[in-house]
Order: sequence, then structure tokens, then C-alpha cells
Amino acid sequence: MNSHQARSAIERSLVVVIDDDESLRESLPDLLREFGFAAHAFSSAEEFLSSDSNGQTKCLILDVAMPGMTGLDLQQELRRRGQEIPIIFVTAHKDDTVRARALEQGAVEFLFKPFSDTALLEALNKAIRMS
Amino acid sequence: MEVQIEDPSGEIKHLRHCINDLISVLGLPVIWSGSEPFQIIRSLLDTLLSMLRLDFVYVRVKEPIGDAPTEMVRVAQSREQVRSQEICELVNHWLGDDHLKSPRLVRNPLGDDELSIVAVPFGLQGEIGIIVVGAQRRDFPRQTERLVLSMAANLAVLGLQEARLRSEQKGVASELDRRVAQRTRELGHANVELRKEIAERQRVEAQLRRSEAFLAEAQQLSRTGSFCWRVATDEITWSEQLYNTFEFELGTPVTIERIISRVHPGDVPMMNERVESARTCGEDFEYPHRLLMPDGSVKYLIAIAHASLDAEGRLEYIGAVQDVTQRRLSEEALAKAQSELARVARVTSLGVFTASIAHEVNQPLSGIITNASTCLRMLTADSPNLDGARETARRTIRDGNRASEVIARLRALFSKKDITIEALDLNEAVREVIALSLSELQRHRVILRPELADDLPLVTGDRVQLQQVILNLLWNASDAMNTVDDRPRDLLIRTEREEGNWARFSVKDAGLGFDPQHMNKLFEAFYTTKNEGMGIGLSVSRSIIESHQGRLWAAQNDGPGATFSFSIPCRPDTKVQ
Repeated sequence: MNSHQARSAIERSLVVVIDDDESLRESLPDLLREFGFAAHAFSSAEEFLSSDSNGQTKCLILDVAMPGMTGLDLQQELRRRGQEIPIIFVTAHKDDTVRARALEQGAVEFLFKPFSDTALLEALNKAIRMS
Repeated sequence: MEVQIEDPSGEIKHLRHCINDLISVLGLPVIWSGSEPFQIIRSLLDTLLSMLRLDFVYVRVKEPIGDAPTEMVRVAQSREQVRSQEICELVNHWLGDDHLKSPRLVRNPLGDDELSIVAVPFGLQGEIGIIVVGAQRRDFPRQTERLVLSMAANLAVLGLQEARLRSEQKGVASELDRRVAQRTRELGHANVELRKEIAERQRVEAQLRRSEAFLAEAQQLSRTGSFCWRVATDEITWSEQLYNTFEFELGTPVTIERIISRVHPGDVPMMNERVESARTCGEDFEYPHRLLMPDGSVKYLIAIAHASLDAEGRLEYIGAVQDVTQRRLSEEALAKAQSELARVARVTSLGVFTASIAHEVNQPLSGIITNASTCLRMLTADSPNLDGARETARRTIRDGNRASEVIARLRALFSKKDITIEALDLNEAVREVIALSLSELQRHRVILRPELADDLPLVTGDRVQLQQVILNLLWNASDAMNTVDDRPRDLLIRTEREEGNWARFSVKDAGLGFDPQHMNKLFEAFYTTKNEGMGIGLSVSRSIIESHQGRLWAAQNDGPGATFSFSIPCRPDTKVQ
């Protein structure tokens, strides 16, 4: 894929942010749009599963610890449903066990909050390539 | 007229005989000297019987005091067959009422012949008694025999009177001796009683001295002195211990002014007010106050007194003053130690709290960095998006403030500072702790369900200390559910108003619960069921709650898990708006 093709792919890609924390849920979609992605945000995994965005999502930026269904729970649920959406986990908890488990289950990247925009962009590019 | 003597020699013989008899009679008082009356009479009778050759002699003697007269009879040997009793009866019959006129010749009761009897009075008028003699001789009584008889009777009267006098003297002496002896016995008895009384008095005095010594010792040990204040005269009496407490010279006069001169300047207005109130109200009082001693040290005292009226109806106070300085200093040291222990517990918690702190700070930091990056991109674009940049900058500030609040909250919870008692909203304190703990609880898959009462009045206390307790109970509950996977890790946090103006805080978990046998140990220091833990959380929590005049307790749930609760008093007449 050349750069033009890649850019077109990005412009067509919908990246979904799922985080119960308002700060990132508000700020991250704006940054993603600056990157050229289409972006949408949900405050819980359950809300995402019941939305229309479910089938069009090219990448998930997913918080680990949330009330109700956690990020890892959603990862398992999507695999159970056969939906292979690339997932970038973001979390404020420095928990290597959870990180290892997430990567083992196929996560593209596991970022600890706060993360830089370049680290995020690299992870996104990796995810888009995989998708 | 010349008298012719028929037989001069016989007459001379007779006269000689009479003279001899008189001499013998005159010698009788010598014999009677010292004799008893009955001995005198018996001697008289025996003498007359033989001297006058009588057949019998009878005497009746009146007793000096009211008793029946004494009768005595002597009968010649030739007449001994006659009983004395018969003679007495015959004589009494002969004599009748007027014995001095008794007939001289009577029928002889002792034989067939007549008997010549003579009665001679004892005493001039017969006041002593009477002597009756009788003889069968025809010539009886001759004049000489009458003379001898009278002489003997008179001498006997004298002897009897002397004997009676002597007897009376003896009686008086005897009575005197008896009375002296009786009085001596009485005095001896009184002496014994007096000795007993003295001994009893000495015993009571010793007991009193012992009791006073005990009291003084007790006052010294308990550092409690007693006093009496007569309000009308301002007369004040102190015990020795009170002098020691105030460090006044023992026995020196005590006045209200002198007492107040020792009172701590900060307590003088209160003291003056209490004294004036006591003068006018006449009610019991109890108040703490301080003394400032000459060496600059401070003593803490509690005065307590009971008002009463004396015998004249005047107001007086009897009371005690206890020096509680040692106790006060111990309490302060204990409070300081508890405060230090609580701080240690908080710092210990800090280690456990690190992950939560990181989460709480990293969340807004993440927002800040993302927003800042977005903002830069918006501004450096070919056509800058100023509205977007403004919005992201606003969010950056908001998240920065949020991070700052988190830090401030953490600093408030974990920094060392003096206890600040203030009116506070328990619900707000709970919410702050929940905010700090939420992510950590979520990480442990704890489902938090707060049920905070709307009508909870304000409580009085130290916010940080109470939040420390709340935090401790919250994490204990979370820890108790760490291994629970077969049921939701429900954690119910509830505040509610209790009867009697109390506020209750409860944490109900669905964990493993606790062994009821270890109920009492739960709150002991250094008792823990956790692999990692010092076991001071609940101990410190209970100390904190008790210092807030409240109580902390645990109970097993009907279902799984346990509920830990504390109740503290609300401020009177306050309600959260």
C-alpha cells in the first residue's frame, strides 16, 4: 500500500474510543480526526455493542477497567462473535499481568496513560495495516 | 417506939448474909462488862436464883425497837420438872396487865403449897421490862431480899442499857462498815467502768486517728483534697492535701482572693463567674480549671461541691478538688500516640494506594496531553482551527484542575496535621473517599452501590480522621472479596440517620465474612487475616471513632460477607441543606 492508498484507507477508517473517563472520551476523538480518522466515542462496552458502529469499526481504542463489562471482557466477546477488530488498549493502571493477557489475546498494542500522540499514531497505523 | 428483936444473933447473921449478897450483886457489873444483853439477863437470873434460894425467876425484857419482848426463866434444880414455857404462861397470867400490883401469894403451880412471888420493874417505870421471882418459903421475901432484888434489877438495867448502847454502837459501826464496803464496791465498780470507758475512748481515738490517716493517705494517693466553704462568712476550711495541691503553707488562712491568685489567668474570668454564681444560686457545682504555679507549671483540677444549709440555715458548700494533671497529660500523650499511629496507618495505606493514585492522576494527565497535542495540530494546520484549539485548550485547563484536585485530596488525606474538629457533611466526606477509591475498586471488580441518606445532619469531627476510617473500611471490604468469583462483588456503602440524633455509616460486603469467635480480636492492634497487612487499621479506626464519642462494630450478614458500621453523634439541630 502506497502513502496515498494508506491515507485513503485512514480517511475511510472509523476508530472507536471506549472509555468511562470523560477526559479521554472527549479529547481522543478530536485528535483522531486531526490524524484523519473518522472517530466515535462510547462510555461503555455494552453501549458500543448495541450501537450501529459495531460492524464498521476498523480499530478500537479500549479502556481496560470500566464498570460492567471490562475491556478484556469485550475483547473476548468480539472473538466469540468472530469480529476481529484490532484493539489498542489504554489504561491508567500499571498492571503488567493484564497487559500480557491482552496481548496474548491478540491486542495490537497496550498503552499506559498518559501516552504520546506519536505512540498512538504508530499503534493506529499498525492496527490499520492489520485490518 | 423501940423495936424488940426476938433473935438478935439470927438477925445479925441474916444481915451479914444480906451484906454479902449486896456485895456480890455490886460485883455483877464487872462480870457483865462487855457481855451481850442475853448474857447479862442469864447471869442475873442465875445469881438471883441461887442467892435468894428461889424456886424460879422470870424476866421479860422489852426490845428497843418494836420486836416482841424476850422472856427468860430459870427454875431451881428441885423444880426442873417444870418446863419454862409453863412458868412463862403462869407468870403472864398472874401479872395480867398491871404486873406491879400483882398478888404476892398465888397458888403454887409447882406443888400443893402457896407460892410467894415478887415482881420488880426493870427501869424506873418498868420501861425495860419486869423481873418476877417466886419462892415457897414462908419468909419470902424479906426486906433485905427485896433490897438485893431491887439492887440487882437496877444494876442489870444499867448493864442492859450499856450492852444495848454498845450493841447499837456496834450496829452503827457495822452499818458504817457495810456502807463503806458497799461504797467501796460501788467505787470499785465505777472505777472498772471508768477504765473500760477510757479504754474504749482510747480505742475510738486510735481508730479515728487511723481513719484520718487513711483518709489523708487516700487523698494524697488520689490527689484529691476536700474543702468546706461557708458562704455567709467566706470562711474556708481545707484538707492538708488541698494545701499541697495549691502549694500553700499548711494551716495558713485561705480566702477566695488567695485561691484565685493561683488560678490560671485564662480561667480567672470563668472562676469569678462560678464563685458569684455559687454565692447566689446555692446549687451543686462541678467545673474543671487550671492553676498556674509559681514555677510556671500548669495543674489541671476538677472541683466538685455539694450545696447544703448549716444548723442556722446558712449556705455552705462541701466538696472536693482533684488534681488530674497526670491523667490529663497521659490523655494528651495517648491522643498524640493515637494520632501518630493513625498517621502511620495512613502512610501504610499510601503504599496500597499508589496504584489508585497513579490512576487518578494519569486519567487527567492523559486528557491534558491528548488535548494539548490536538490543540497544537489544530493551530499548525494549513488553515488553523481556532475554535477547535480553543475548546481543546479549555479541556486541558479543566483536566489540569482535575489533576490538581486529586493531588490536593491526597495531600489532605495523607499529610500530617493537627486534629481539626469542625462541623462536616459525612456524605461529602464519603463521596471524596469513594472518588479516590473508585478506580481501585473497579480494578478489583468491586461493584460499588452507594446509598447516602438525603436527610443526614452535620456531624462534628475531624474530616481527615473520619475519611481514614471510611477508607479503611472500604478497602477491608474490597480485600474481603478478592477471592470471590462465584457471586458479584457487591459493596454497599450506606449512610443513614439513627434515632437519638446519630449518623451511621455502614459498609456491607459479599466477601468471606469473619469467624464469630474472633469478633473481639478484629479490633485488636496487630491482628490481621491478610497476608500483607499490619493489623492496625481497625484498631486505629475504633480509636478514632471512640474519640468522636461514637462506636464501631462488625456484624455477620444474613447472606455472605460482613457489615462494618460506625455511629457518631450529629450536631444538635443541624441538617444538610
